[in-house]
Amino acid sequence: MSIDPFLVWLESTPLSEWVVGSPSLLAFPGILALHAIGMGLAAGLAAVLDLRILGVARGVPLIEFRRFRPVLLGGFWLNAVSGVLLLIGYPTKALTNPVFYLKLLLIAVAMGLFVRIDRLIRSGDAAAPATARSLRRLAVTSLVCWGGAITAGRLLAYTYHRLRA
Amino acid sequence: MLYAAQIWLVHAIEQHSPVATLMRTHWAWPIAESLHFIGLSLLVGAIGSFDLRLLGVARRVPIAAMHRLVPWGILGFAINASTGLLFLLTEPDQYLYNPSFHFKVLALGIAGVNAGLFYATSYRQVFGASPSLDAPRRAKVIALVSLTAWITVIVCGRMLTFYRPGDCVGELGLLLTCTPR
Repeated sequence: MSIDPFLVWLESTPLSEWVVGSPSLLAFPGILALHAIGMGLAAGLAAVLDLRILGVARGVPLIEFRRFRPVLLGGFWLNAVSGVLLLIGYPTKALTNPVFYLKLLLIAVAMGLFVRIDRLIRSGDAAAPATARSLRRLAVTSLVCWGGAITAGRLLAYTYHRLRA
Repeated sequence: MLYAAQIWLVHAIEQHSPVATLMRTHWAWPIAESLHFIGLSLLVGAIGSFDLRLLGVARRVPIAAMHRLVPWGILGFAINASTGLLFLLTEPDQYLYNPSFHFKVLALGIAGVNAGLFYATSYRQVFGASPSLDAPRRAKVIALVSLTAWITVIVCGRMLTFYRPGDCVGELGLLLTCTPR
């Protein structure tokens, strides 16, 4: 069954028309700007946490670095919301592009890794050799996923084949 | 005056831009953009968290320890300065006549001077022999300016697309914000 009727309907909703068509800077341009800021906060803080695990800034106790967790999660939720708005604006463009699903997958994996890393740190034995080893492995994977998610996101502008239903 | 300087700069870059040919190959531009976004994230992660620490987040982390992250923010900045230069050298008119680019450069300048001020005014209190866990008020103001300036840089960068210069008709501002024929 085709999803085209759904896409046609979604693109005709007032919210979709506002995101795409409003001349206001708060519409499409503003949402894109928020999406870039959220990316910086989520991917940036995750990357810095990964670097810390890999040996940068050893003087920063991992358990204390958890204080930045709300900032990372704030960036993530900002992007979940702004991302859904962008998706409502151009559902066909995103949903007919395999790169979009790759981006979502990479973000899901990266956030899953963050949750596991955070749990290991909270457990309190991050310094134990076995835990430290798994932390390092998770950190490297996380860096790769965030880099991939950002790249996939940027390539969405170049890889779509259908703009509107 | 300023207009003439802008036009001269655009022409000068257009006439001998060594990277334009490379940047116009199939995937060069998108790859450079992806690196620009990765650099942005690194910068926000490292400099943003250091600024937040100065403002009092994660108070029990020594500021000097947190400062070890800053070189990674500088790496992010270096990635973005290089890729940004590639864009500028390939499509100079799209940037030099773009009001959003003018504000982006202004915010970058403020961020730079502000970072200089941090080291000039607060180095001793923050990194000295007996540093306090709380940053001096001056350093907190600087951290706030830094966060604001970098967010402005990101917003202006993202807005570039929506302020692309058209052909010159009608009013002109302090700087050219349209492409002269």
